[in-house]
Amino acid sequence: MAGLLDYTDGSSVLHRLNPLTKLVLAFAVCVAAFVTGNLWYLAALLAFSLGLGFVGGIGRVALRLLWTLVRVCAFLFVLQLLFIRAGTPIWLFVTDVGVATAARVSLRLMDATMPLVLLLSVTQASDLSGALVKVARLPYRYAFTLMTALRFIPVFTGEMAHIIQAQTARGVPFDTKNPLRRVSLILPLCVPLLVSSVGRIDQAAISAEARGFYLRRRDSGYKDYPFAVRDGVALLVAAALIAAAVLVR
Amino acid sequence: MTPTATETAAETATGTATGTAAAPHTSAIIATDRLSFTYAAGTRPALDDINLQVAAGDFVGIIGPSGAGKSTLAAALSGVIPHYWKGSFYGAVRVDGRDSCEQSLTDISRTVATVFQDIEAQMVAAIVEDEVLFGLENFGVPKADIPGRVTDALDLVGIADLRRRTISSLSGGQRQKVALAAALALRPRVLLLDEPTSELDPASSVQIFETLQRLNREQGITVIVIEQKIMLLCAYARTLGVMDGGRLVHHGPVRTVLEHIEDLETRGVNAPRVTTFTHALRRAVGAGLPLTVTVDETESALRRAFSGAANDTTHNTQGERDVYAPL
Ligand SMILES: Nc1ncnc2c1ncn2[C@@H]1O[C@H](COP(=O)(O)OP(=O)(O)OP(=O)(O)O)[C@@H](O)[C@H]1O
Ligand SMILES: [Mg+2]
Repeated sequence: MAGLLDYTDGSSVLHRLNPLTKLVLAFAVCVAAFVTGNLWYLAALLAFSLGLGFVGGIGRVALRLLWTLVRVCAFLFVLQLLFIRAGTPIWLFVTDVGVATAARVSLRLMDATMPLVLLLSVTQASDLSGALVKVARLPYRYAFTLMTALRFIPVFTGEMAHIIQAQTARGVPFDTKNPLRRVSLILPLCVPLLVSSVGRIDQAAISAEARGFYLRRRDSGYKDYPFAVRDGVALLVAAALIAAAVLVR
Repeated sequence: MTPTATETAAETATGTATGTAAAPHTSAIIATDRLSFTYAAGTRPALDDINLQVAAGDFVGIIGPSGAGKSTLAAALSGVIPHYWKGSFYGAVRVDGRDSCEQSLTDISRTVATVFQDIEAQMVAAIVEDEVLFGLENFGVPKADIPGRVTDALDLVGIADLRRRTISSLSGGQRQKVALAAALALRPRVLLLDEPTSELDPASSVQIFETLQRLNREQGITVIVIEQKIMLLCAYARTLGVMDGGRLVHHGPVRTVLEHIEDLETRGVNAPRVTTFTHALRRAVGAGLPLTVTVDETESALRRAFSGAANDTTHNTQGERDVYAPL
């Protein structure tokens, strides 16, 4: 999963959309997927998401994501087939209602995940938080907390990888095939990592304050996030997606 | 600047010390008065009776072995102690004439821009440019001035080409430069840097000190830098402070402090090799030789000292080459 949410630089329409428009668009696809039960429309939404990836110049990322989701959903699909007993059997334990429901749930899951992940990977976290503060009026404190949390994820995973590497070099069998044993080896590492991260976050708070964090007001941000015509168009598309979902139900 | 206040001299001359201290107090931009601090989790004081006056416009270097309390001193000068770290705090720190306990950390940071030792943890942004923007936005720098300030700061530390890079993709040394640029962009009256070159190559370290010197000379910015590379401090700082075991054991003009070369060495602070050399030579042949800091300076001092004796024997020049070799 590492690198999936990484920002991909570019200058496509998607990159230039207002970060809030992107959030609304992703959210609209989600809503549409839960409003409709129409399998064809759910598939169309998936195609739309994939299309977004190609428009944003991150087609490869989109396909990779789709492949990951397909594998997860295939598992879910089979699980559902096993448990749904309603409807008429069509083959062994499989019923017609089972197939339809399983397909619907799997598609919905993919529809809900794809656009959000794809749009986030063409949006810089700082722009997202900047727009949330300036346009959506989110208090800066919360935006900053969110940003810091996001920023620390790779720091911690990197640190964890370092510790594991160092311990492996000293003969601790982290490469064991037994997942239970792996977990039992990794769990004790979480404590020192947690302790060091609390120290880190303290230091981050100090340095933010020493650079005037508490003086910051809503309009302190240097960048502005105005809405352009393309944002209007994107918002219309978002509305149309939901309207169509209601119509085809 | 008060002349050297060595451990022993401070005890015998307390009366005169307070007498002379009154004058620099008025021009001192940062001063500590009998400052002691023990961390809540610590058993012995990390700072022990520190009396440090930093005159506005000075270039101060602080050196000392690991665990001497240098970072703790930086925390006290920047207001992080007592505002964040808990512990027992005695004495006072005055920043721009006001007690640091009576101003908030934010107030202090209007005067002092600090680069802390843990570079990783003090980054607030994902992208280099945003990191530099952060302080400028917060302190309300007019928007029209901001792009110029960012560009200037990045140019000063030589990382203009990293402007759009993500911080997570930078090397340790590059991150140090980013942190420094973010502090420089604020154009503070005092720059407080805790080992700003620890991950830099020698050339970049020199470049950073050149920049600091230029800012100090041209803009009168007071520089306080904690640094392990004694050569850099000797070449660029005007005042040197030596810490050991929580105490400020020497403090004064660089050359005056270097006179305590033997004491410095017992504390694990090695003087520049040329200084060690001229010191040894001075002891061997007697006085008449000044304590030198740079190679050029040593050469001319030697020429002067030995010009009379040079044509006596060839033995002298032979000896000179021998001692020069390890330099
Ligand atoms: N948060 C803390 N809690 C308790 N003790 C601490 C804390 N931070 C530092 N110390 C102790 O205070 C003393 C001085 O530490 P400090 O970090 O100031 O040293 P330093 O001179 O900066 O060393 P270095 O060159 O390694 O950075 C050390 O003995 C250290 O163990
Ligand atoms: Mg330190």
